[in-house]
Amino acid sequence: MANIELVNVTKSFGKKKALNDISIQVHDKEFFVLFGPAGAGKTTILKTIAGIELPEKGLVKFDGEIVNLVEPAQRNVSMVFENYALYPHITAYDNIASPMRSPLYRKDEDYIKDRVMKVAALMKIDHLMDRLPARMSNGQRQRVALGRCLVREPKVFLMDEPLAHLDAKLRHFMRAELKEMQANFNTTTIYVTHDYMEALSLGDRIAVINNGQIEQLGTGDEMYYTPVNEFVARLFGEPEINIIDAEFVLDGGNKGVRILNQIKSFAIPEDVYDALAATGKTQFHIGLRAIDLSYSFERQTEHDIHGQVYSIEPIGNKAVLNVDVNDTILRTVSPPDLSAEMDSDIFVSVNMKNAMFFDAESHELVVRHNQAQYTKAVN
Amino acid sequence: MFSENQSLLSRLIQNLLLIIYSIFALFPLFWMALITFKSDLQMFNTTFFFTPTLENYKAVLIGTDYIKTFIDNVIVSGGAVLVSVLAGVPAAYALARFNFKYKEDLAFTILSFKFAPEILVILPLFMIYQKLHLYDTYLGLIWVYQLITMPLLIWVVRGYFEDISVEVEQAAELDGYPWYSVFWKILLPLIKPGLVASALLAFIFAWNSFTFSLQLSGFNIQTVTVASLRYIASDTVHYGQMAVAATIAALPEVILALLIQKHLVRGLSFGAVKG
Amino acid sequence: MAKLILKNVFKRYDDRKKKKGGKLADFAVNDLTITCSDGEFVGILGPSGCGKTTTLRMVAGLEEITAGEIYIDDTLINHLHPKDRGIGLAFEDYALYPPLTVYDNIAFNLRAKKMSEADIKKEVMRIAPLMKVEELLDMKPAALSGGQKQRVNITRALVRRPKLLLLDEPLSHLDGKMRQILRTELKRLHKEVGCTTIIVTHDQLEAMSLSDKICIMKDGLLQQFGTPYEVYDDPVNVFVAGFIGEPPMNLNKVTITEEDNILYFSFPESSVKIAVPPKYTKVLKTGMHVTLGIRPNDLLITEDGSPVKIAVFENLGDEKRIGIRIGEEYLTLITSDETLYKQGDVIRLQVREDKTHIFDIETGNKIRA
Repeated sequence: MANIELVNVTKSFGKKKALNDISIQVHDKEFFVLFGPAGAGKTTILKTIAGIELPEKGLVKFDGEIVNLVEPAQRNVSMVFENYALYPHITAYDNIASPMRSPLYRKDEDYIKDRVMKVAALMKIDHLMDRLPARMSNGQRQRVALGRCLVREPKVFLMDEPLAHLDAKLRHFMRAELKEMQANFNTTTIYVTHDYMEALSLGDRIAVINNGQIEQLGTGDEMYYTPVNEFVARLFGEPEINIIDAEFVLDGGNKGVRILNQIKSFAIPEDVYDALAATGKTQFHIGLRAIDLSYSFERQTEHDIHGQVYSIEPIGNKAVLNVDVNDTILRTVSPPDLSAEMDSDIFVSVNMKNAMFFDAESHELVVRHNQAQYTKAVN
Repeated sequence: MFSENQSLLSRLIQNLLLIIYSIFALFPLFWMALITFKSDLQMFNTTFFFTPTLENYKAVLIGTDYIKTFIDNVIVSGGAVLVSVLAGVPAAYALARFNFKYKEDLAFTILSFKFAPEILVILPLFMIYQKLHLYDTYLGLIWVYQLITMPLLIWVVRGYFEDISVEVEQAAELDGYPWYSVFWKILLPLIKPGLVASALLAFIFAWNSFTFSLQLSGFNIQTVTVASLRYIASDTVHYGQMAVAATIAALPEVILALLIQKHLVRGLSFGAVKG
Repeated sequence: MAKLILKNVFKRYDDRKKKKGGKLADFAVNDLTITCSDGEFVGILGPSGCGKTTTLRMVAGLEEITAGEIYIDDTLINHLHPKDRGIGLAFEDYALYPPLTVYDNIAFNLRAKKMSEADIKKEVMRIAPLMKVEELLDMKPAALSGGQKQRVNITRALVRRPKLLLLDEPLSHLDGKMRQILRTELKRLHKEVGCTTIIVTHDQLEAMSLSDKICIMKDGLLQQFGTPYEVYDDPVNVFVAGFIGEPPMNLNKVTITEEDNILYFSFPESSVKIAVPPKYTKVLKTGMHVTLGIRPNDLLITEDGSPVKIAVFENLGDEKRIGIRIGEEYLTLITSDETLYKQGDVIRLQVREDKTHIFDIETGNKIRA
């Protein structure tokens, strides 16, 4: 149990700046997610907290005390590595027992047996205890690695993409199991992933990392409903959010927002209107999630946008329906068994309630409807 | 439907060829062992049937200081391998884990010691050894034998270290183990096959070495390779005694090779192959 | 552009050293028969070790065929050398020649055929724009990203105008976004080039979105061969049912019970039961144990369904996923219902009747109405 702090940490590998002046505060017992694309610096943050990497500048603090010069072994942290890092020459039992046999954290064998079997039951690997890592599948190895991490009670759990190498089916189950276990953890956890569903599902708070910097830090709702910029908006949601040009019409009969060369403007909620008007600009980017677009093969209202079916990609329990509107592709969802001719006519209607508006130059969020509702207290 | 009959025939042929080759390869050893029991008189007028005698063994083992020579060989070869292991394993670790300027150049230089024929460096070494009073000493030979034993060891063991992902060491650190425990408990078991295989191979190379021991040692220390020259006397060649010397000299190697046969292939190729 | 026919194809690896008891090794591919029509995009899908790569390698000529026949159009190709089969190969690990530029890599095969440089240039420049590799032609493989290497790999396979294009897990080493992009490009490429393509993958999303037909294998045996929709909507056994679909279909052991003359699927060790759709009443009897298959999005939250307690609630933005524990069984439900539930809440469940699947508990085969 501890609160972990990184204060203005910078770390380079050769010429590349992996971490650029990063500051994060993780609260005691919080499940904190580091999320971002590959190479963003998330694993480096984890290793810096563990003490395996040393920052060039900045401080690492545990419970207010600076631990920069404390050896990794002394920091009392537990880590699951992305490639599991199991000891290949000993059994699953010995792997999980290993942290409690070291000089620093030694316990007696009876205590060890009790803890190891408890954790093994939790991970559903009790029948594998006598096996060597080489004779296990990836999913089983992952659970042994997770078991080795959870068997102690350290100050903080550090988990580096623990579900990354599992096939989709196993990942689905393990994520649900982790979530169930989460309630019983009672320990600060910092979890790295590049899968947005894991981030939204597991994190109390999420930090979006890109190029060694924090793009946004907040709850899952804040990320999904009020992303701070287009980059963050694109990271959450499947299929990816549609971001297209929008023209803001201040006055007159066509007051509202015009998109995709449509003549008629779309009406927008009043708070959005006021915020857009206050900027004095007319060109924006609008973000529309796939579920806010619905389709029909016949024109329903005069606001419907006319386009052609570009492609249908079934992805399991739904399909991504790509619609070509004047050479812009809009992504929306449909049931997986939808069949339609390519290039056939189709009409798209837009729900402006959840639309997000971004500044056309800075790509930062300007406003969305009911914005205040989604923003919780500042970290 | 299935090609079972074909494989039976080809298997027969394969086995036949293997038997022929085995006879070809093993016969010299067999012959050599055989003539250790033949007296000089019967050496050339008998083949497989003769009256066995132990006079050659008596002549070599009791009559000369062959046993001391044998022990010298053990000391020098074993000592060389020991030094190579103690110095080579940390060197291999450094090459595998750390990045420093000219690292690959250094690695290549170490490897290149094996390329150069011993004859090339023997004269300068002779002079240096005289000056340093290392001529005809155990220390001197053990030291120069590093040229034979260390490169192979470092090369193979480095590959093994590289195959162990660094996260395994980091995991052990986080588990609470100090660096020497990490080495002893985690790294050593994992490099053992490569270490054992390359150490034993290095021993065999050292055991067989001729040039260095011929030039750099004189009367105090003589290795078996040099000692065998003795049997080529001016008037006659005592084939029987030479055979005894050779057989006894070869014995350790043959035994070792048989013991580590399994480990040799696995050990040498497993770690060294990189994608 | 060609038809590919596999007829009763077997593959066995004879490794006598491994089987000390004298037993012969199992079949890596066991009696596989499928037909890929001209211009079709066929996906061979299955978990690792199922025999899909072995099958592809037999078609390519890199593995010997233990028994059976493989035809390309009407030619039996069992004993043809790989280079004579008219096949373009793009394998998992790119295998680009490091010292050659991208252009030279692509031209390599054509040069081996002694084509003139002018002709080679024409062919390369014909294919390069389709895979968007024109800007990469002067670069060396070491400077390329994973996605770029894969594109070059496929370009190299296509430049010989093969009758058949074979892809072995082409997207497995790429990260999520790159995979999506390349998937779309592959689909478009197939439409434009029209080459009969066989792709091997363990990623069912990939197979589903790219293929005209999917061939699902397990332990060397063919499980089902049909369109993506067919294998999704009408899986023939428990394996296919649980393999296709993300998140996977719920497959739960239930017992048939009767109450007031109505049949129910009853979950063991609980009072939860779901009414059996009328179409199944003829084939089910009280007391039978079956595996019930329902996809997560075919489970509905209603006013009058069976009450269950929520074990896990995941708010994933676009959709919400709810995990429910019933005795030893676990079910997942997907909904776009905006309500934010919590662990422990009680909801009522109903199933979409026409989307219920039943499987025999012993054989795993589908029980049809």
